[in-house]
Amino acid sequence: MEIKYDSSSELVIPISYGSSEAIETGKWGFEKPEAAFLTAPCQEVCPAGNPIPQFLYFAGEGRYQEAVEALLRENPFPGVCGRVCFHPCERDCNRSQYDEAVSINAMERHVFDVTSNRHPDILPLSNNVNSRRVAVVGSGPAGLSAAYFLRLLGHRVTLFETRKELGGVMRWGIPEYRLPKSILKKEIKRILQLSIEVTTGMTVGKEIFFEALDRFDAVFLSPGAGLSLSLGIEGEDLKKVWRGGDFLDRINSGDKFRIGKEIIVVGGGNTAMDVARAALRRGSKVTVAYRRTRTEMPAIRDEIHDAEEEGVRFEFLLQPVKISFLTNKKIRVKFQRMKLRGRDQSNRPKAIPIKGEYVTRDADGLIKAVGEGVDLSWIPETLSTKGLIAVNPSLATSHPKIFAGGDAVDQPRTIVTAIGAGKRAAIAIDLYLGGYSDDDIFSKIRVGHKGALSMEAYLSGRNGGSWSEAKEIISYPQLNTLFFEHSKKVGMSKLDRKKALKSFSEVNLGFNSDEARMSALRCFSCGTCNYCYNCYYFCPEGVVSLDPQHRIRRVDLEHCKGCGTCAKVCPRSGVLMKEAG
Amino acid sequence: MKEFITGNHAVARAVRLCRTPLIAAYPITPQTPIYEKLSEWEASGELKGIMMRTESEHSAMASCIAASLTGVRTFTATSSQGLALMHEMLHFAAGCRVPVVMANVNRLLAAPWGFWADQLDSLSQRDTGWIQLYCENGQESLDSVIQAYKIAEEVFLPAMVCLEAFVVSHFMEPVDVPDQEQVDRFLPPLDLPHRFDIDKPGYLVPVVPPELYRKYKHMAQTSMNAVKEIADRVDREYREAFGRGYGIIEPFMLEDAEIVIVTAGSITSTARITIKRLREQGHRVGLLKLRLFRPFPVEEIQQALAGKKKIAVIDRNISLGSGGIFCQELRAALVHSSDHPLTFSYIAGVGGTDVDPDVIEKIALDVMKRREPVDTPMWIME
Repeated sequence: MEIKYDSSSELVIPISYGSSEAIETGKWGFEKPEAAFLTAPCQEVCPAGNPIPQFLYFAGEGRYQEAVEALLRENPFPGVCGRVCFHPCERDCNRSQYDEAVSINAMERHVFDVTSNRHPDILPLSNNVNSRRVAVVGSGPAGLSAAYFLRLLGHRVTLFETRKELGGVMRWGIPEYRLPKSILKKEIKRILQLSIEVTTGMTVGKEIFFEALDRFDAVFLSPGAGLSLSLGIEGEDLKKVWRGGDFLDRINSGDKFRIGKEIIVVGGGNTAMDVARAALRRGSKVTVAYRRTRTEMPAIRDEIHDAEEEGVRFEFLLQPVKISFLTNKKIRVKFQRMKLRGRDQSNRPKAIPIKGEYVTRDADGLIKAVGEGVDLSWIPETLSTKGLIAVNPSLATSHPKIFAGGDAVDQPRTIVTAIGAGKRAAIAIDLYLGGYSDDDIFSKIRVGHKGALSMEAYLSGRNGGSWSEAKEIISYPQLNTLFFEHSKKVGMSKLDRKKALKSFSEVNLGFNSDEARMSALRCFSCGTCNYCYNCYYFCPEGVVSLDPQHRIRRVDLEHCKGCGTCAKVCPRSGVLMKEAG
Repeated sequence: MKEFITGNHAVARAVRLCRTPLIAAYPITPQTPIYEKLSEWEASGELKGIMMRTESEHSAMASCIAASLTGVRTFTATSSQGLALMHEMLHFAAGCRVPVVMANVNRLLAAPWGFWADQLDSLSQRDTGWIQLYCENGQESLDSVIQAYKIAEEVFLPAMVCLEAFVVSHFMEPVDVPDQEQVDRFLPPLDLPHRFDIDKPGYLVPVVPPELYRKYKHMAQTSMNAVKEIADRVDREYREAFGRGYGIIEPFMLEDAEIVIVTAGSITSTARITIKRLREQGHRVGLLKLRLFRPFPVEEIQQALAGKKKIAVIDRNISLGSGGIFCQELRAALVHSSDHPLTFSYIAGVGGTDVDPDVIEKIALDVMKRREPVDTPMWIME
């Protein structure tokens, strides 16, 4: 357009193309911003200490390779955990106080799924001049995790497994419809690529003497809890009564045994749900009998829900007292009716019998899923107490070089707790072999206050010599929720029920790329910079620079006047104002 | 099509018709209905621009300046204290040579507190380098906003359209709202110079040495001087396109008048009635309406008042220690014309007090009696 009263050769307003950077306006400032790093509650509550905001940030950006690498630094089993974890992270997700939790569990699975068909990821092994030999007994989640992290720490590992295949409870205890064997295989393959010596089909205490472990510099025992507990009632040894563990083992071995039309499952934990849903897939009608009520069931809520959706019936406040054989090849189970009164030692409502009230149920079979015990027959008596291997918080036994973890010690029996134990043991063993005390180190590498440890913090401390202090937890009120928008949690689609019940195909179908992106972007990134650029946009001095690719945020302190706007507008408390030194 | 709407809504309609992509404003009584109406249209999608709700009028003006420097048409509306708060940025707007258009609803300035019609708020900003237009009613407010864009965008200076609190802003009158196509033809979409170039970053209006500052001020003054001619031409073009026009000043029954009442804003409408009444009584009285205040149309006023005996300027404002501001300007304009008339300053309507036909008649009759010049302003206190 024509600028009538100002010739175009003569600027109508002055413009300077020189830099004003020469003026060090930063000297006027009193406070300066500092990058703050806080731990999100999801991460704190994860027994494996998964870097959740970090991996979700990468996933949201479509940087899946970095996402899976972030997970693999802390957890060798994202594909397994993304399917079978009880995901306390979602319960503690700050977003659940705003609208609905982020689908963390499904995202972990998605990150694994989209990267697993590329080359398997191998993290660099750290150089360790003090490399020693460590034996790991048992290849469940605790054993394999310990082996994995010990390798990352540079030790040589020999893994002993009684069965012909590795995986422990992940291989033999969880049915295919929840955890396909192909997924487990991929995870184990990646771990074994770290050069772990494996001995399968050999039992320590039988083919290998326990004393033979003495030639190793340290030992980690993770035999798991493979013995199904008995009910202690008349008739439980009848032919049509199975142990839950054995039942799942046979299912997972591909054994085509007959189980009968109507089945009663006794128990309320995850094994009971797995057994019930597996039996459904073998064409049985299934009733779960539990001695408390639905609220007290220890199984994962989603599992209970899915079991019910698939047609499992539930009967509560029933405890079997006698099983007898009927003439028509059926069995009859006599149940004592129970009621809830008071609380037990673990603060759960106690089930007590209602005197004289019994019911009977006829069935073609009964599966006991009332808990598992540990086979301690091969372990020196001095190492055990109350049916478990006795350990201290560093997972050390009374024998200086023997450590133990997983279901065989006193800890919650979940896959992810076992993974966390594997990590903790690997660090404890590394410290032991290096001749260091662990108390101080554990407090520096903790992820919050709920027991998880950070391998990344440990490696950077051990290899780089810089031990940072543990980060604080970011609570919901510390978020600046004005910058967020409400949205619904994204759910996974499921296999059609009719199809699901005809086979052991995986029920949960995972996310498509849009669902995954949407889910990942729902993460508030509590306490972690996700490059939302708020500080950059709002900085009145234009002194903030961000590099999401290399995860760098910088403030030009020579020109930052310390107004604190960046700290105020950070939605996730990621900037702290501190008096300038 | 004629619509029965308030002055505020007439302004809002004009802004919508001008397809202003960025509006930045802060609500203040009695301007708020402009803000609300534009917000409402933004929500319904009828307004094609962005309604930016800033935290203060100062920021509103800063936003308009910045947006205008990116090349788009901008608008803001305010009143009284809000305008006072903008003061610093008003100078910036003129210095940055941005054709921002603003509606100012004339409201008294505190203290004491009040919301009533008074022109002191915008007159206090007369030296900020803004073009100023004073409107009689809703129709003129609508038409002036459209005209203001055309004038401002030609000279790269900001323009303020003033309408008085309540008597114009809130009174409903039939207003002829032009068609969108008509307005589009009159005021086509524009692309102002883009002052921000990502590929060649520069610092706008930096520190300049004294000579350069003087040069830019001089350039701005040259542009400002051109406004009278442009405003007059734009008004004529507007009349051709829409059948209405106002001129930069408007004489009414002036030809054979000996005594002239001078007004600006809504008092003009009332004064027309009084003038007719006095004419019927045989008095040779005329009226001169001032519409363009900055730049002040000195030659046009000299011509219009040549040969008149006495002038009564009615000011709805007071510059303490001096007098009515329109009167000061008028006296200064006439000082070099030969045989210039005696000029009397009347302060009426300050603080929103009513100026009815009787008040104006009283002023006219008072002027007729006077033979000697009076330097101090005369207050109408009823």
